[in-house]
Amino acid sequence: MSAPVVGAPLLLRTSIKHEARSFAPWIAIATVLSASSVLVYPWVFPTEADREGLATLVGSNPALGLIFGPAFDVSTADGFNAWRTLALGGLLTALGAIFVVTKATRGQEDSGQAELLASGVLGRSSRLLTAVAMGLIMSIIVGIVAAVVTLLCGGGTEATLLLCATYTATGWMGTGFAAVTSQLGAEARASSSMAVGVMGVLFILRGFTYSVEAADWALWINPLAWMTETKPAVENNWWPLWLAVALTLVLLVVAFALQARRDFGQGAIAPAPGPARGRARTPLALALKLNRGTLIVWATGFAVLGVVFGYFTTAITDLLAGDSGIGQVLASGAQSPADVFGAFVATVVNLIGIFASIACVQIILRVRKEEMDDRVEPLIATPTSRARYYASNVVVAMGAAVAFLVIAGVIVAGFASSADIGVTYGQAFGQALATIPAVWTVIAVAVAVVGARPKVSIAAWAGVLLSFGLTLLGPTFGLDDWVLAISPFYHVPAVATSTVEWAGLGVVFLVGAALVTVGFAGFRRRDLATT
Amino acid sequence: MSADEPVIETQGLVKMFGKFKALDGLDLSVAKGEVHGFLGPNGAGKSTTIRVLLGLLKANGGTARLLGGDPWSDVVELHKRLAYVPGDVALWPSMSGGEAIDLLGSLRGGLDDARRAELVERFELDPTKRGRQYSKGNRQKVAIVAALASNVELLILDEPTSGLDPLMENVFQEVLGEAKDRGTTVLLSSHILSEVETLADRLSIIRAGKIVETGTLASMRGKARTTVHATMTRIPVATDLAGLHDVQLDGNKLAATVDANGIGDAMALLTPYGLEALTVAPPSLESLFLRLYENDADAVGTR
Repeated sequence: MSAPVVGAPLLLRTSIKHEARSFAPWIAIATVLSASSVLVYPWVFPTEADREGLATLVGSNPALGLIFGPAFDVSTADGFNAWRTLALGGLLTALGAIFVVTKATRGQEDSGQAELLASGVLGRSSRLLTAVAMGLIMSIIVGIVAAVVTLLCGGGTEATLLLCATYTATGWMGTGFAAVTSQLGAEARASSSMAVGVMGVLFILRGFTYSVEAADWALWINPLAWMTETKPAVENNWWPLWLAVALTLVLLVVAFALQARRDFGQGAIAPAPGPARGRARTPLALALKLNRGTLIVWATGFAVLGVVFGYFTTAITDLLAGDSGIGQVLASGAQSPADVFGAFVATVVNLIGIFASIACVQIILRVRKEEMDDRVEPLIATPTSRARYYASNVVVAMGAAVAFLVIAGVIVAGFASSADIGVTYGQAFGQALATIPAVWTVIAVAVAVVGARPKVSIAAWAGVLLSFGLTLLGPTFGLDDWVLAISPFYHVPAVATSTVEWAGLGVVFLVGAALVTVGFAGFRRRDLATT
Repeated sequence: MSADEPVIETQGLVKMFGKFKALDGLDLSVAKGEVHGFLGPNGAGKSTTIRVLLGLLKANGGTARLLGGDPWSDVVELHKRLAYVPGDVALWPSMSGGEAIDLLGSLRGGLDDARRAELVERFELDPTKRGRQYSKGNRQKVAIVAALASNVELLILDEPTSGLDPLMENVFQEVLGEAKDRGTTVLLSSHILSEVETLADRLSIIRAGKIVETGTLASMRGKARTTVHATMTRIPVATDLAGLHDVQLDGNKLAATVDANGIGDAMALLTPYGLEALTVAPPSLESLFLRLYENDADAVGTR
């Protein structure tokens, strides 16, 4: 064995043993996504007419394409599965791989574990090699488990194998990106944010390029679009997978080259000396300061999202020229154009709202991280009450939600009002404002969990997960209204349509207020985490 | 709060972590203006006691009073009057040490800028480094400066010097002495006995969540035994040495301990054997401490 990788096999065995549990959620989500579509499809869409109805539904709401990519063929269970899960399953696998790789590299360096390891008989590249191997192996496991379970649930052989192979391939690319960003960032958080940011941008661009039917080159420069081009259940192209493997290899070569040049515990970007005196002198100022980097990145992201989604609203009239579902709905006279476009704008803004809630839930979860890292204790030992400390962070999260929606809303409204779809600037911007209470309520779930039951802090994502699942996937499953109504976004009125109902939003607001109260009561009463 | 009411008083304090009893009926009393040493080995319950006193943990039983208030419910009022240095200081990775000092000081209601500058100087702290760049000792200095630069009545210090080099430990002792002269009450938890020996007026020793010994250093020394090493010209008969404790006889060399008031008798006993060399070491806290924990080891063995 060559010197740089001495000890890697042993380290890998130990790491897998200890970290295997952290693979489980990612494996489970991808598997459930894929297997459930195959299981549910024949049950929800038993007849040919139902399947055509589904195609119309998917076609009539192009906003869905931004997330799921193009629906090549939803008339079979496998085609439906490919549409519904290719983008998400791959993205989730990649996110899992990013977190695994970052934790095993920079995370260990930040916590000091790596120092113990590096002082042992361990080659210079062994830790990175171990981390990369964990990312690659986790992605393979996701693919295999999802494929086996989906096949058992009745998926077609080739389509299922190819679809699940795209999860693995996307996970591999995520591993590659994370291996590179782990060498760049000043700490674990910065490194994983960079990798997640890259995947997020590629993800949105893929949806956008397909939805506006952009030129082919725009697809081929996007590694995630390669996965879509495999077209499982339609064309079953296997060769784009090789592109993903090649990209992974290139990224890994870059990562190992960068790793050889950087100092232990430091990123490629060295931190400058800080100020000798501090200006952050209140809990609120501290919360803003700690989240500043994240807030700026997300705010920029929402400006970009506003442009992408806004431009998309202007392109919608072109899409109508084709024989799309939306054209059929209009031609049948079932709905007025104003209602269709109003609902469309509402869906786009709901998507922005769900993204905003992801960013804000992260801010709340950071409180728990600070607590676990013993950084809350010295603050609470000052005359700062627990309520004030927690409130500062909650205010930042809730305020961020407003800022994100206003930023994206201003831009989307600008595009939508110029698009000749009968939606005014005020209506589109009002839509963004009307979405804020729903986002707040999703954040409130996290406030309640972190405040009252921090041991299950993963449950802070429950609101995001429910909103995402029910708002985007619920309608295609033909779920009853009362189930759909669990998502706070269900109650956001489509401001530009003829039927605007505000009462639901009031209920959503009250539920949110109740959850926040639970969170604060819990935070005041419980023991702080101690180490 | 009247002048003679203790600054800290706990009675029968109990704290459970699941089934583990971290505090098992702890009685601690700290008088106003004193430096109170809080001694015990790792895991004895020192930090848990301090966290209960700070209102970070809620006790499961017993009572605790701090500066005349309830540490759990009067938390904000009480914290205006105290400062705390944790044993393991975690700083914000991207914030400079100077920023952390100012944040903690401001939250406590402002700090004395002149004293802040003086402390930074005396502890040779570079306040422009980022949190993650500090060594353990330097992180500790950040917390010490933040705590001592504010005017408070009570300092709660949880193993404050862990990671400090001996020179900085001296600085810390000086600075703490000055705080004591200003009339500050100090609860100083430590397992470094010499630190407590020089500074503390009174001590409490904690074992397995209970205070097993409390009093002034002098009174504790009274309970501890003096160590005697002697080299003699004639080898004594073991039965003649019954008045001594822990006798170890190696040829003509003797090591033994005697009660604090029994030194004269011991000398009378040994002189007839012809003393060639003699050292008599006063009872150190170290020996008292070891003694208490030897008993503990016995207790564990027979349990």
